[in-house]
Amino acid sequence: MSSQLQSIEVRIEGYTDVWVYCEHEDGRLTRATTEVIAGAKKIAERVGMKVVGVLMGYNLGDLVNEPIYYGADKVIYCDDPRLKDYQVLPYTTVLSDMVLKLKPWALLFVTSEIGKDLGPRVAYRTRTGLAADVIDLIVEDFIMNLPTGRYVYKNCIAQVRPDFATRIAKIFTPKHRPQISSVRPGNFTPLPRDESRTGEVIKWEPRFNEDDFQVEVLETRRLPKSEVKLEEANVVVSLGLGILRDATGNPRDPREAYKMAEELKRLIQEKLRLKAEIGSSRALIYAQLKELEGLITKERQVGQTGKTVAPDVYIALGISGALQHRVGMQRAKKIIAVNTDPNAPIFQIAHYCVVGDLYEFLPRLIEELRSI
Amino acid sequence: MTKAVPARTTRVITVGGVLKREEMDLVINPLDFKALQAADYAKRYNGGKLVAVSMGPDFKVKPLISELYAHPIEGVDEGIILSDRRMAGADTWATAYTLALGIKKVLDLNRGAVEELRSMVESGEGPERVLERAKELYERNLIPNLLYTDKPGAPLGVLQRYARGQATRDEVIEALDRVRVELERFLIVAGLKTSDGETGSTGPQTAEALSDLMGRQIPDITHVTWFEVDAESGTLIAERKLGSYVQRVRSPLPCLITISPEYRPDVPRVSRRKRSRSFSYRNKSPEVVVWSADAIGADPSQIGLAGSPTIVGPGIDIGGIPVQKFLGVTKVFSERVERLEFNGKTYGPFERFQKVEGLPEELVRELEARGLVKVYDLKDLIAEVFGGVLAAAKH
Repeated sequence: MSSQLQSIEVRIEGYTDVWVYCEHEDGRLTRATTEVIAGAKKIAERVGMKVVGVLMGYNLGDLVNEPIYYGADKVIYCDDPRLKDYQVLPYTTVLSDMVLKLKPWALLFVTSEIGKDLGPRVAYRTRTGLAADVIDLIVEDFIMNLPTGRYVYKNCIAQVRPDFATRIAKIFTPKHRPQISSVRPGNFTPLPRDESRTGEVIKWEPRFNEDDFQVEVLETRRLPKSEVKLEEANVVVSLGLGILRDATGNPRDPREAYKMAEELKRLIQEKLRLKAEIGSSRALIYAQLKELEGLITKERQVGQTGKTVAPDVYIALGISGALQHRVGMQRAKKIIAVNTDPNAPIFQIAHYCVVGDLYEFLPRLIEELRSI
Repeated sequence: MTKAVPARTTRVITVGGVLKREEMDLVINPLDFKALQAADYAKRYNGGKLVAVSMGPDFKVKPLISELYAHPIEGVDEGIILSDRRMAGADTWATAYTLALGIKKVLDLNRGAVEELRSMVESGEGPERVLERAKELYERNLIPNLLYTDKPGAPLGVLQRYARGQATRDEVIEALDRVRVELERFLIVAGLKTSDGETGSTGPQTAEALSDLMGRQIPDITHVTWFEVDAESGTLIAERKLGSYVQRVRSPLPCLITISPEYRPDVPRVSRRKRSRSFSYRNKSPEVVVWSADAIGADPSQIGLAGSPTIVGPGIDIGGIPVQKFLGVTKVFSERVERLEFNGKTYGPFERFQKVEGLPEELVRELEARGLVKVYDLKDLIAEVFGGVLAAAKH
């Protein structure tokens, strides 16, 4: 049927370049920002456009060249004492102003607290679409079949994002510009920093609204550096409430399971040279067991209200796998689940299923790894 | 702001990328309960009322919002659902626009009630007539106990004292103005993100949409882990996470906050009770109100699919249930087996560790006897999962 429709090509003219909103901390671009610059380069090259780094803040100094060292062709920066701390209103005003005047084709943010605040507001104010949590960017035509014809929107960005459970979706912003996305960390590899790269650096003079400065920053303090790097681990060994009992229902000291998980982590690091970390289900953290005080803490929580991980291997020990847990780990490449209950939902998504007692399985697994 | 989301993400019904909410089992978005707790805390601290606003097919969303009245979170006083066929398929832009219009209508109704009473008093309407109207408005939850009350033991409302000659006209105007000012000091609370869309964009965009509608900048503060809000001074103090830092900010009201999952509600000080009672409303509205696009004055070209700048392209399935192997149960090939003939049929080839599926039992028995098929065990698992890195690590 669609073959009978007349093809109508739609090109949105007058917009150019891929902008990256560059986040910085302690005088450096964040790693996620350098990743997004690499992602921007991938699509910009396809359509013959430039990558432009946008920097905002106060006393930026040499930082203004950093986006270029990481692959941007050009930098637009706004350096103003009123932009010292991130505040959504003045930042939205300055960035929206830039967008409306300079008309970028795409604007990319990092999926972060700032990117997920500033991105949506700028998108609303400039009346365009926003795709959040994007994991890949692809240039392709967007085709819309309507009774009046087959509309081909040339050169759009397919903003790829995870959809429900086992699907991914492509989000398009066919009729509006810029196409705005926030890009999840960990999906593009930053280009090596190269100080010999050069590019144009332009200063932008801000104009604010009178009521942009309603919010006052009272204090900024550094969060304690987390020792637990769940998101970076290749292998996550995760514990759930199942560690409290063995297969026969007898209570077990959860420290036993924790010690074995530690040993497993050590062996994986030593023998396989992979980064390993211990995770936990929400239930185990909220049980607030005396025995696990200081060991199983909030920063280890995997799941909807904790961290989302996508390691190479996820080992779920005594975790039943409620939906809230699964959304935090189902992107793991290989899932090993150990549970005494054959009907535990974790077995719906696990690749390797061990229906049995983790107190029997773990010592055997440890033994096998030791013998490697 | 609350949202009804699919109860199970494994069975989601979509048509061309648009969620068919009317055909799914829905629940309140889990993170919205945090928002409701936070809003409840703000209400117990300051008085006022807690209005739950949601968008979605009313016959599906209504029972969920009604349930909030009975939910442990006691503070929900009114439920409003923005429901209209034309709102379907909205992305975050169109959703924010719609929600902002709904919120504005709530404000306009309450403001209208106070303004009506004020102009009655100013134009010299008799105190009895004003009292009569105040009673009606009070019963519709549009004015607080400070102005009119039927709570036993509570001090009489200003308009009741006015009718008895115990309050002057100036006192009445002053009280009305005070309520009017506090109505402008509202707080919008949203969950950090929803379990279906997971964008986290609707909160900030609703603040932006409302700024646009009201002609003034309304700030938003996302990822709030702690806050205190004082309607009397019209300020909010909040802590929010920002990269490796925590920012402590002071914002005037109105303001929109999104609540971090780490938020834990405080218990308001006892000294706040009297104040919060004066500024509280009569009771919970028993009926959830449904407003259509026309009722909130929405521009049809800005709502639903029509008003959404983003379009969801066809989804790509990335595998449903994985190929599963059960330790000690599943039969697998112990090595690579080339194409084989059996009873005139050809099978294979098979890879090492490939699950034995759909082969005649007799053949499986034969392969087992030849040691080509075995029960999957721990050694196999280690070899399959870590085999590659093992080889690399040994180099």
